[in-house]
Amino acid sequence: MSLLSVENLAIHFGGIKAVDQVSFAVEAGEVFTIIGPNGAGKTTIFNLISRIYDPTEGRLIFDGVDFTTMPAHRIAGLGIARTFQNIELFEHATVLQNLLVGRQPHARVNLLSEILFLPSVRRAEIAHREKVEEIIDLLDLQAYREQMIANLPYGVRKVVEMARALCTEPKLLLLDEPSSGLNVEETQDMSYWIEDIKRRLGVTVLMVEHDMGLVSSVSDRVLALNYGRVLAQGSPEEVQRNPDVIKAYLGGEE
Amino acid sequence: MNGIAVGCIYGLIALGFVLIYKATEMVNFAQGDLMMLGAFVAYTLISGLGLPYWLGLAGAVIIMAVFGYLLDAVLLRPVIGQPQFAIVMLTIGLGFILRAAAGFIWGHDPLSFETPFTGKVVNAGGVVIATENLAIIFGTVLLCAILYAFFRFTRLGVAMQASSQNQLAAYYMGIPVKRIFSMIWALSAGVAAVAGILLAPKFLIDPNMGFLGIKAFAAAVLGGFGSIPGALLGGLVIGVIEQIAGVYGPPGSHETAAYLALLLVLVLKPGGIFAQIGRKKV
Amino acid sequence: MRFVFKTSYEQDINLFRHGGDRFWYGLLLLALAAAPLLLDTFYLGELSFILIYAIAATGLMLLVGYTGLVSLGHAAFLGIGAYANAYFISQGMPFLVSFPLAGLITAAAGLLIGVPTLRMSGIYLAIATLAFAYIVEQVFIRWESVTGGFRGLPVDAPDIFGYQLWERWEFYYLCLVVLVAVILGVANLLRSPTGRAFVAIRDSEISAQSMGINLARYKAMAFALSAFITGLAGALYGHHISYLAPDAFDIRLSIILLLMVVVGGVGSLHGAVYGAIFAGALPQVIAILRDYLPPAISQTPGLEPALFGVILVFFILFEPFGIYGRWLKIKLYFQMFPLYKKATFKRQKSYLKTERLR
Repeated sequence: MSLLSVENLAIHFGGIKAVDQVSFAVEAGEVFTIIGPNGAGKTTIFNLISRIYDPTEGRLIFDGVDFTTMPAHRIAGLGIARTFQNIELFEHATVLQNLLVGRQPHARVNLLSEILFLPSVRRAEIAHREKVEEIIDLLDLQAYREQMIANLPYGVRKVVEMARALCTEPKLLLLDEPSSGLNVEETQDMSYWIEDIKRRLGVTVLMVEHDMGLVSSVSDRVLALNYGRVLAQGSPEEVQRNPDVIKAYLGGEE
Repeated sequence: MNGIAVGCIYGLIALGFVLIYKATEMVNFAQGDLMMLGAFVAYTLISGLGLPYWLGLAGAVIIMAVFGYLLDAVLLRPVIGQPQFAIVMLTIGLGFILRAAAGFIWGHDPLSFETPFTGKVVNAGGVVIATENLAIIFGTVLLCAILYAFFRFTRLGVAMQASSQNQLAAYYMGIPVKRIFSMIWALSAGVAAVAGILLAPKFLIDPNMGFLGIKAFAAAVLGGFGSIPGALLGGLVIGVIEQIAGVYGPPGSHETAAYLALLLVLVLKPGGIFAQIGRKKV
Repeated sequence: MRFVFKTSYEQDINLFRHGGDRFWYGLLLLALAAAPLLLDTFYLGELSFILIYAIAATGLMLLVGYTGLVSLGHAAFLGIGAYANAYFISQGMPFLVSFPLAGLITAAAGLLIGVPTLRMSGIYLAIATLAFAYIVEQVFIRWESVTGGFRGLPVDAPDIFGYQLWERWEFYYLCLVVLVAVILGVANLLRSPTGRAFVAIRDSEISAQSMGINLARYKAMAFALSAFITGLAGALYGHHISYLAPDAFDIRLSIILLLMVVVGGVGSLHGAVYGAIFAGALPQVIAILRDYLPPAISQTPGLEPALFGVILVFFILFEPFGIYGRWLKIKLYFQMFPLYKKATFKRQKSYLKTERLR
């Protein structure tokens, strides 16, 4: 059984079919990439999976659970975490605080014991901290622990956002354009990290990406999208050779 | 009739909010106080300097427009881009200062000035209407027609519309967006002055009359906070509801009707009647 | 500059980062405890007033500074707490019961306005709370059987197990105990998952949601908690002024509460206290200044609000981080001397920060 299956997903904004009858399945342990020109509906699919948008049609199934109508805040508990194209970190908090928010799906909240800060809360905090430190070590963020997000360079913020998503201990990680805004060297690092996440943490990755170098170096399978419809699906090489895909990118006589 | 007239005033103040909000995404909590200031300036020109009513009106509008322009250029331009909370607090602070300044200059006793409409009535087919109400309604309609023509047919008006819809695009098209914003403040202050002058014969003018502006919020929200006709319509609705509640409701409902209506609209349709604010895009 | 060498995670969790912190806070508490020995009754009363303000400012800070929800109607909560407490006491309830009960009732009122407004953001919420405050003020005026309407409602001195706190210094200690408890509770909350959820909502609702935070639940919680704390402050406020009238809780008080948050420094508990000291001491300073000013200015009734307005505008234009932000800058200046650079605290401006969908 696939980890995530998307069946006949569609969403219409007014008259525009932003996503139209898209189906695909992500298998456990792979890196699955969605490519396509701007406005093809890639981020919209992410927003549908994280339940920010309600689909007009179709079903979403994760690990055997139909989550098509689940509220957005329960998706993280299901085991799906995500990053955002333009980085949505908690700007006026430290890196450590940001990562600890990632522990939210695993936090048992009891207002009164928190106000009194009972020993149980303290123990839980330390357990969360240990988990967070594992991720910090994995992604080499030690130097930035106490820094405010607002003072960090863009490249580091991207990594912090990925780390925050990993702190939720997801089974599936959604990365929305992990290389956008990064320089060549940082993009190279990003591809190592994605490999690490897949190998060492065993997390399945679904990403949207433009940089074809990164796509072909890390992806197991690729899905090409245009105008909200699936153009092609297969290994990176197959999809890159597909005439429809080439036409969509280079523009052709239609 | 009374309700409609008062509603027109609410509508005019709300229109001032909306003009500024649409363009700059700032909410001016001092709009009511601008109205108050406009009324006082007119009082000084007409009763103090003895100018004829129409000349005094024009003078007050021009003075207030210049004041609005300077206000934006000096105080508000530095906070563009800061969180909305900062801007709200800034305009609230401004309201306090304006109120105190008016109290300092004109005193805290209510004043009134003679207008051509004070205390007269018109008998229209058996219905007796106070001229001051007629003047308010007529003035509002006239002002709206002028504003409509301004936005539709003048270069400046079109530039203002463009800047409201997309600051960046307007900027790239060579429109001096910052200066346009100040002009919008000028326009809004001018409209507020007209509202204050029209209101003057109905209520006495005193430094605290700006609190009326809060009811105008209700009007603006009712109209969706982004639409000029909506603001006027919202003003009328609030004015009439208030009047009806005052006559038929239990004691205290005259004061609270506007706010209850506001809360009701916000709860049922959080985006106002014509939803403008959507979810942030990611 | 002090470098703290961390050897365990506990050090990041503890309220006091190092021994120095513990020493200075201890000294402050000692000074506050000794205040009744040093100050006369009038100034002790003023100090109690500042403590009450600080409780209310802490409540508002939780909502505005940490959860990012603006309330222009917090005076209503202060009023509800004051009236509820005074009414229960007039019905013969002991203070130790009526006081927390007043807080709970205010929390319920907080939910009443908080829950329907959950879906609103920014400016709509601000306006809704403003409208709520006006309606509550009318209720204070009209519900005469409970509030006494314009005639007002006298408030008895609080009693603890039958012992009435008539003396100023007794009441002062009561306020001090409540303030310390409230600050500790809020500080604890802020280092727990709930507090982090609040901050997450403040900085990015969309990603808070994708991290598993139930926006509706936490926003409602923030409203209720903030109202609860403000209600407690209100109950004490009622005892302090000893006679409740509806116009004591109008929009001006809401703005003064917000002023404390802004002037003290948005997003810090220190800021709430600094703001309270500022707002509490300002009228005294004005009263002293009046003697030296020409009568034309000093006799103007609008002097106080005008000064509040000027200060508010001044802080937003020149020191958006408030007194606490200024204090941090000064501290850093001396720690880093001579390497301090102004840009450390420079904020990025976003010219197109927008709430609209385009």
